Amino acid sequence: MENVALLLTPRIISFKNRVRSRDKWETAKAIMLLLLAVCFWIGIFIGVYRVLTYFQGIEIIGDLLTRRLLSMVFLTFFSILLFSNVITSLSTFYLSDDLNLIHSAPVPLGKIYLARFIETTVDSSWMALLFGLPVFIAYGFVYSASFTYYLWLMVVIIPFLIIPAGLGIILTMVLVNIFPAKRTKDIFLLLSIVAVIILYLLFRFLRPEKLVDPETFSAVAAYLTALKTPSSPFLPNHWATEAILPLLQNYEGSPVFFFLLLLSTGLALIVIGNYLSSHLYYDGWSKSQEAKKSTISKTRVIERLITFFTRYFSPQTRALMIKDIKTFFRDTTQWSQLFLLAALVVVYLYNFSVLPLDRSPIPTFYLQNLISFLNMGLAGFVLSAVAARFAFPAVSLEGPSFWIIGTSPITIRGFLWSKFFTNLLPLLVLAETIIILSNYLLKVSNFMMLLSSLTVFFMTFGIIGIAIGIGASYPRFNVENVAKMATSFGGAVYMICSMIFIGLIVILEAWPVYTVFMSRITHRPLDLSQWIAIWLSFFAVGVINILAVFLPMKIGVMKLSEMEEYP
Amino acid sequence: MIQLIDLTKKYSKVKAIDGINLEIKPGEIFGFLGPNGAGKTTTIKIMAGLLKPTSGRVIIDGNDIAKNPLEAKKVVGFIPDRPFLYGKLTGKEFLRFMAGLYSIDTNSHESKISELLGLFELTEWGDELIEGYSHGMQQRLVMSSALIHNPKVIIVDEPMVGLDPKGARLVKEIFKAISSKGTTIFMSTHTLEIAEEMCDRIAIIQEGKVIALGTMDELRKKVDSAKDQGLESVFLALTETLAQPAESFEEVP
Repeated sequence: MENVALLLTPRIISFKNRVRSRDKWETAKAIMLLLLAVCFWIGIFIGVYRVLTYFQGIEIIGDLLTRRLLSMVFLTFFSILLFSNVITSLSTFYLSDDLNLIHSAPVPLGKIYLARFIETTVDSSWMALLFGLPVFIAYGFVYSASFTYYLWLMVVIIPFLIIPAGLGIILTMVLVNIFPAKRTKDIFLLLSIVAVIILYLLFRFLRPEKLVDPETFSAVAAYLTALKTPSSPFLPNHWATEAILPLLQNYEGSPVFFFLLLLSTGLALIVIGNYLSSHLYYDGWSKSQEAKKSTISKTRVIERLITFFTRYFSPQTRALMIKDIKTFFRDTTQWSQLFLLAALVVVYLYNFSVLPLDRSPIPTFYLQNLISFLNMGLAGFVLSAVAARFAFPAVSLEGPSFWIIGTSPITIRGFLWSKFFTNLLPLLVLAETIIILSNYLLKVSNFMMLLSSLTVFFMTFGIIGIAIGIGASYPRFNVENVAKMATSFGGAVYMICSMIFIGLIVILEAWPVYTVFMSRITHRPLDLSQWIAIWLSFFAVGVINILAVFLPMKIGVMKLSEMEEYP
Repeated sequence: MIQLIDLTKKYSKVKAIDGINLEIKPGEIFGFLGPNGAGKTTTIKIMAGLLKPTSGRVIIDGNDIAKNPLEAKKVVGFIPDRPFLYGKLTGKEFLRFMAGLYSIDTNSHESKISELLGLFELTEWGDELIEGYSHGMQQRLVMSSALIHNPKVIIVDEPMVGLDPKGARLVKEIFKAISSKGTTIFMSTHTLEIAEEMCDRIAIIQEGKVIALGTMDELRKKVDSAKDQGLESVFLALTETLAQPAESFEEVP
């Protein structure tokens, strides 16, 4: 174990030194961001608490619903963790710069495996764990759980984190060996698609829509049976649910058995991974060092399209845009994400096509418009996630080549706006595709179609403004792979800001539209004060949108200009 | 053409460079020498606009790099010691990109690009991705990109790193040719033969201070060195025995 601990020390010491060398301003900044995260954390807690209290109020099936929800929460975590572990392990096991040094030292492979296992688990789990805690604490509060529950939760969660890490690392090791040398990046493509499909299939296995539609069951008994049946008895999310639920709902159950199931699986995966690493890891790593053959896409269509779309920009902006677009289409790790995007859009639209709106007890017209608003928020969330992957790392993607920008006669402002415009058009196309098609499937009124198309159109400007601006405020020019960027601290700040922005826009628009609809339904005309409030809401939407574009961009320009040293 | 006035850079309490004053004339090839950690790259990075000084000024062609960075950068071609480039662009595309950053007319840059690729013997590699270039080829590409806008000043950090003997000779010839046409070249180097062969004047810095400045003959005189003695012995004598404040030399401004 001594060697393993030694292998982990560079990371630990680096972290300590980073904390220690922080000046007053950085400490203040960290505290402020911590407060922001706490607010977000409390938001999750309140949200989950309210949902659980509502579920508890439903007779007979209340407890079953909370159980199913907990299982879904665990499944979501498990899926995110699995994907995150695969991505992280590619970096920690195969792409990290320090691997040359480590492999040239007389360290047994098993020790390297264990050290990297711990690193991977911590790197991929800390954020999911942090934002998952309020969910579990909310469960504890709703069920007035004793201290034992929280203690037990901490014990159960550890093997639950180890399992996706073990699986993810094994998957990575196998894939790196199957694919030709130095094609590890291409694996991202496959992994992205596989992950989405697995996630989606797992989610569908839970049949979540049936929970809100008891009428599809022939009898209440069938509904109850469906709720009671564990939908995935062989998955760790079910074991974790069963390990902690008895402490909440005060039934006997077998929490220790399920905990042992988690623990033994986790430990078994470590052992299997260790065994596999002795056969697969060194070969895979060695292969990934071999030279890479360059290929250039010969498509003239893309060239022409780029020239066409950039013709009105200044020579400098144009040069940067052309460079970024060409780099994107020649980098497998970048363009392969487009497949992921396509899968995302298909799944998104499919979900709207299967919504059983006509069978709902709520009037369809009302429900369609309500869902249309939720759709706006959801589309905003999807766009934020896409922007987190593409727009947010745009500045950091310059990497060590940033010296070229730093020494050229281009302003930081001009540089950032070029990044803004490069990302704007593709995201606008995505945004409008999602919102128009989903609204079409929902058969919403023309008014709602127009309102949501326009809202999402302008919201995209705001989301990109926030992404580029915050991305420039937290640049990481030495990041090893861009996939890590979205999960960085800056990435979390961006996601929180973006969520707040989308939430504000949707709330500010939902209220006036609801008022207008209600006045039509009740045939009561709106008075002057209501009209003023409605227009004020829309005015506020406009102001927030403008602020979302210009304020983060301005902060980004300021932060980047203030940098002591460029790479 | 280039003025460094009381240039100082502190990292926490350590002074990386300490009150450097230099003036370099148009068309001069100026060598900037010093042992490891003397402050050469720090000075160069400040001159190129990549690092902010703690105090002092850098004036290039009459423009203060801190107050008027864009005007100053327009006349500078910068060549770093480690050429990190955009691997997914071809050599030609990279030069087109650089031409765009310096707002060079699209019609005129194609002929300039061909000329530069030819000059640096990269013509047959022009349509290949940069990630496939060797270190030396990348270095030559950076040099050609630094010349794309016909700069008045070239700032170069370790020009010969990664170049084979043929490449090194090529670069020397090009630098001499452009300096004879009036371009000022400020180069930091460890390769003393290059400095001796190419530079009109040389400054030696140690612990962030200029400890000697002048032509080769003037530097030799400082250490009472024989006329046939090379820069290496002069350099070693200066850095080992003259590690004292710059004020002791009248030549140092």
